[in-house]
Amino acid sequence: MSRIERLVNLTAALIDAERPLTREELRERVGGYSDDPVAFRRNFERDKDLLRQVGMPVTTEVIDQDRPESALGYRIRRDDYELPDPGLDDDELAALRLATSAVQVDGADEATTTALRKLAGAPGTPATGTAAPPAAGVARVETASLPGGPHAATVFGAVAARRRIEFTYRGQRRTVDPWRLSYRNGQWYLSGYDHGRHDARLFRLDRIEGTVDAVGEPGAFDRPADGATGPAAAWQIGDDEARTVELLVDAPQAAWARSSLGEDAVREVNADGSVRFEVSVTNRAALRSFVLGMLEHAEILGPPDVRAEMVAWLQAIGAS
Amino acid sequence: MTPAQERLGRMLAIVPWIAANDGPRVADVCRRFNLTERELVADLELLFLCGVHPFTPDTLIDVDIADGRVWIRFADWFRRPLRLTPPEGLALVSAGATLLAVPGSDPDGALSRALAKLETVLGVAADDAVDVQLGPVAPSILDAVRDGEHRRRKLQLDYYTFGRDDHTRRVVQPWRVFNAAGQWYLEGWCEAAEGHRLFRVDRISAATVLDQPAPEPPAGSGPPAVFQPGPDDPVVVLDLDPDVHWIAEAYPNEGVEARDRSVLRVRLRSAGRAWLERLLLRAGPHASVVEGDTSVGRDAARRVLARYTSADGGGKRDRSAGLGGRPGSAPSRD
Repeated sequence: MSRIERLVNLTAALIDAERPLTREELRERVGGYSDDPVAFRRNFERDKDLLRQVGMPVTTEVIDQDRPESALGYRIRRDDYELPDPGLDDDELAALRLATSAVQVDGADEATTTALRKLAGAPGTPATGTAAPPAAGVARVETASLPGGPHAATVFGAVAARRRIEFTYRGQRRTVDPWRLSYRNGQWYLSGYDHGRHDARLFRLDRIEGTVDAVGEPGAFDRPADGATGPAAAWQIGDDEARTVELLVDAPQAAWARSSLGEDAVREVNADGSVRFEVSVTNRAALRSFVLGMLEHAEILGPPDVRAEMVAWLQAIGAS
Repeated sequence: MTPAQERLGRMLAIVPWIAANDGPRVADVCRRFNLTERELVADLELLFLCGVHPFTPDTLIDVDIADGRVWIRFADWFRRPLRLTPPEGLALVSAGATLLAVPGSDPDGALSRALAKLETVLGVAADDAVDVQLGPVAPSILDAVRDGEHRRRKLQLDYYTFGRDDHTRRVVQPWRVFNAAGQWYLEGWCEAAEGHRLFRVDRISAATVLDQPAPEPPAGSGPPAVFQPGPDDPVVVLDLDPDVHWIAEAYPNEGVEARDRSVLRVRLRSAGRAWLERLLLRAGPHASVVEGDTSVGRDAARRVLARYTSADGGGKRDRSAGLGGRPGSAPSRD
């Protein structure tokens, strides 16, 4: 019996099981394992790991609840295994395929392929569809490319399952209820409730150190109905006291500043084409970088202490 | 993914689909799952031997191939595909949300409907879980630029050159429009500069599609690096305090060296004087120029400072006198 046959049989046996089955029971039911007990154990562990790596929910349970030292049993519960039928029509499946070929998410090619395969096979899909994948060799048209990174999928899984996570950020351990992933300014952010700080916080995924660990059970919190919106801009991602800052931008940069700050921030358009803005800021260093990006074509008008900070910053450079 | 993982995943996705469709054509299965007929037949021959204890005919998967069609029976364990993994869910949702974030996409179209339906398989509404913004851009400008690219027409652009702090009008042969690192870009041939150029769409203040055909873009050019200084750009060497070590990561550099426990020395190619001015203004007192023109940051700081310290000031109290014009003595441009 080939390994792939054995894996298919093991999956079928685990799904078929009405109670958790021990390793020895599975050995009998699946067949194809070595007679040598050491080789059997090694191959069985390897097979079980492989099933979990492709995403199968193989559970481990103590067979006799009253005797914790009794053998462990394994099975796959159908409800956890089976993909519910999303009922995608062919044009919808085709639109998803098109999206995955127009958008390049760094490191996601393999997951894209396997995901589409599962959906193309969802029951209810008519046998003669128009949703065939593009023929091999056809160049993919890229409209956008996004970074991936090691944490995005784990965080997404926790967001979907409403499962609490832990990670290290700026040298500190954080416990967070993950609400939502946002892509802004070329970066992925997580918004969520930070238990250590007792408040909503934003985290840049590429600044998470080490791994993201899911802790506790799914469904551990409710996502706020409106508080889960992502950051609008860099100057709103930070721990500074919230301030309303007034900016003046000269005409040549005004259109660009309007698209960056948003029309809601516009307070006055002057006769010479310059524009006055009011911006809510929780990260003053990021605001400073934004304003200095316009060189001498923009300035902070107020409040006075924020304006004075900018003056001190510029004087420090001028004096150096 | 190992070959065994790949093959197992593939088989367990194909079986439920064939079983649920009454004898689909082999060619249709191959097309739908992107397989050769040989691969499919090999998978089916293997499945024929699979099942559960005691492996009697009714506990073995039954596969029939006849007249170019295929049937699978007795595969009830695999009546549905395996659930999506988090990487798979994210791949679909982020691609879908990104394409919907492109200005002009249809909010009620097939893609929106597909993402809405995925809620049943993800356990969360796609737009509750993932929110994508592709960078500020005027939809009318992006439309014009994409139209020129699509119809192979030259574009006339009013463009702000960031590196030189300069506005120019130029004619460009569009090659490609794309979004990377959260910004929209136009790649093409600039007729004025007679060179291959990358334009940020948010710095185009006006775009006109000209009634002049543009040549096909050169074949095989991949996406360019978004920031790529040339060999003729001047070199600058900076010492960076820990607060601005990000500069060493954010820009392609020609060498980083740790000076001591906290200071990094980095060699960069400057993409123009205004580019370097911005970098030094943002880094502030945390970066110092050790090689190159040491006056750049100082001069820029004094120029910006003039806005804040000039006699009649730029403060709002002066301005709210409501005379309409902007007071102060900002330096003249160009």
